Amino acid sequence: MGMIIAVISGKGGVGKTTATANIGLGIAMHGRKCVVVDFDIGQRNLDMILGLENRVVYDLVQVMDGEASLKQALIKSKSNENLYFLAASQTKDKSVLVSSKIKKLVDELSLQFEYVILDAPAGIESGYEHTIEFADSAIVIVNPEVSSIRDSDRAIGILDSKSQKVKDGEEVDKYLIINRIIPEMVQSGDMLSSEDILEILNIKLLGKVAEDKGVIEASNQGTPIILDPKSVAGAAYKRIAARLCGDNIPIQEPTVNNKGLVGKLKGLFS
Amino acid sequence: MNFPWNKKRKSAEVAKDRLRIAIMTDKQNDNYPFMEDLKKDIIDVVRKYIEVQDIDIKKECHGEFEALSIDVQVKEK
Repeated sequence: MGMIIAVISGKGGVGKTTATANIGLGIAMHGRKCVVVDFDIGQRNLDMILGLENRVVYDLVQVMDGEASLKQALIKSKSNENLYFLAASQTKDKSVLVSSKIKKLVDELSLQFEYVILDAPAGIESGYEHTIEFADSAIVIVNPEVSSIRDSDRAIGILDSKSQKVKDGEEVDKYLIINRIIPEMVQSGDMLSSEDILEILNIKLLGKVAEDKGVIEASNQGTPIILDPKSVAGAAYKRIAARLCGDNIPIQEPTVNNKGLVGKLKGLFS
Repeated sequence: MNFPWNKKRKSAEVAKDRLRIAIMTDKQNDNYPFMEDLKKDIIDVVRKYIEVQDIDIKKECHGEFEALSIDVQVKEK
């Protein structure tokens, strides 16, 4: 049975879908069979990030309702043969999600794939509770910013009370990715440090991703940033995927770019 | 470095303090998911012995400790 991982966040817009796409692709690049599922019903974003929007014929709601088979709905990634994608429905709303149908779908996926990664709706939205229900573990995406951290804490709270694993007396593994870190601001004391965030949320750290303009360019083109060998965010996602595959790679702190004279001076005085 | 002209508190520090308090308050306001069921069960038990007007259950947080406060209003004779 494959591992079911939900990628969650408190509020929207923190880079959850980007993280899902890159983690999925990273795991696939590691030689593991992986499927990423867009559970954000009604929004449909993951297909764009993966550059697969033109290949979507059937979505997961149609599979859950028996209108299409899983085989028909699964879309193979352009960039890696180990990665598959299942699209969200655009027309229906999140109320179509029913526990029994979701369980059947994720069970079926976990028989075919080593990693089943679910891109959840934001924690404050409906549909979130259903996505996390059958997950073995959750990856929390947070930005170093007060509203994101506060809402993440609530989303983790819901995870701890609503997941099936918790109801069965087990624990859901929770991992944190701190996304969009601006090292210069952390250094000058104007952005919460990773240590501060970990102290507040109190879950295991999976990775730190620096703010990277390349992410927008990557999404423009539908080629996840992990495929860009020069990108710092891409490299961070590679390490995150490797950790999820069991490699022991130490966490790297995003570093300040001290190339210019101003940067060097700033470095001296901070 | 701490220069005398650099006395203003860094905004990250302010953020951390504000977050701590906000999250603690959020948790106080959060109810346990079983609250409604618990209320019904307690009413059933107490009713065996005395008539109940209303029951109020509250989750209280005192630092690290959580407490459940149950207030049973007995029906007036």
